[in-house]
Amino acid sequence: MSTGKLICNDLVKKYGKKEILHGIDLELEPDKIYGLIGRNGAGKTTLLSTLTAQSPVTSGTVTYNGMPVWENQDALDHICFSRELNPLIGWGANSLKVKDYLKAASLFFPNWDKRLAERLIKDFELETKKKICKLSKGMMSMVTIIIALASKADMTFLDEPVAGLDVIARDAFYKELLSEYTETGRTFLVSTHIIEEAEDLFEETIFLNDGRILLKETTQTLLERAVHISGKEEDVDAATAGLTVYHPEKLGRSKAVTVLLREGQRIADGYDLSSQPVNLQNLLIALCGSDTHSDAPDVRRSTAEIPQNAPEGNSGDRKDR
Amino acid sequence: MNEFLSQEKSIYLQIAEMLENDILRDVLLEEERVPSTNELAKLYAINPATAAKGINLLVDTGVLYKKRGIGMFVASGAKKAIRSRRRDGFFTSCLSSVLEEAKRLNISRSELISMIDSNYERGTKEV
Repeated sequence: MSTGKLICNDLVKKYGKKEILHGIDLELEPDKIYGLIGRNGAGKTTLLSTLTAQSPVTSGTVTYNGMPVWENQDALDHICFSRELNPLIGWGANSLKVKDYLKAASLFFPNWDKRLAERLIKDFELETKKKICKLSKGMMSMVTIIIALASKADMTFLDEPVAGLDVIARDAFYKELLSEYTETGRTFLVSTHIIEEAEDLFEETIFLNDGRILLKETTQTLLERAVHISGKEEDVDAATAGLTVYHPEKLGRSKAVTVLLREGQRIADGYDLSSQPVNLQNLLIALCGSDTHSDAPDVRRSTAEIPQNAPEGNSGDRKDR
Repeated sequence: MNEFLSQEKSIYLQIAEMLENDILRDVLLEEERVPSTNELAKLYAINPATAAKGINLLVDTGVLYKKRGIGMFVASGAKKAIRSRRRDGFFTSCLSSVLEEAKRLNISRSELISMIDSNYERGTKEV
């Protein structure tokens, strides 16, 4: 197992004039599975490609084990970013046959595990003589998964590895990921939109919203402080007075809100309310969803306040960038 | 050990509870090795840290103990201990919500007691 951390400081990325990432501070530790969650366009793929030096940063630093990652083979030998393959991109990878693409990967990654790759090809029943561009979306995902797992890189990044995979292949992937993780202690960072089935995999969850890190927290503690409260409107309001509420929804006399309790905070007793746990998916909707129902003032502002557990220096004052 | 995980409760609590259930129904016997965190992680597709948290909970309560280098084992007397601890928590875990619902429905104390009396034999088959 490696001991190197991947750290980025004040990472800004612009494409032309458009700023995608607004000063990201992030520290990834060895021996963890991270989940990266956010809406389309939040900047997930951009973040992954800048962290792995596949795309240059506009400003800020990215280091692995203290070494800058940019054009630094010593650092990059430990890093794998298995990009999502896309049938619409007509260049490079797509014109290759699967076996040639995997062959190229095996030359690129110094610790490539040929036997693992071969076993996964067999398990996934992947046709290696086909060209990448002739594969279905699910099969393309399999290719990216095989590269990520067989790379044996200490820091491995997977961008939507389960997109297009059927439920059985997804389950197989989660199990492969876990067995690779438990055997090696490699760090994995996985971005996904299928949050509900993946949340239990993630030791830590990173919420990316609008190019900023909204939260980075142990999944368990995050879920423990999230609660969905519903009942009669005035009871809900009274019980949550003084707390920051998200995603209020009303129907007749009833009201429901999501609350992220901070240390020492609690829902007031003495009201007839239903209180339910919130899963990651619903938390994402509550925190990042549109606030069309919001008659509670300040939902936007309060959203920007939450990173109490985010890395230092990432809170608050970056809105003016 | 093959129940499905629900979203209603922390995963580690469910892992601990399932192991306890298995001990109560003799799926896991005293002085027998329980599945490792990695086995549990793979079976349920959960992070090993979560599985470990569930197991550690049972170590803390004395249900499981660690044999260095071999794994986790069910302590002797675990079955009795689980039962007695669950009995102690029976009011908060089960009865209080029954009482709450009874009050909401205006079910009187004596009605509730007669309901329990007439159903008790039928309802206690499982344990």
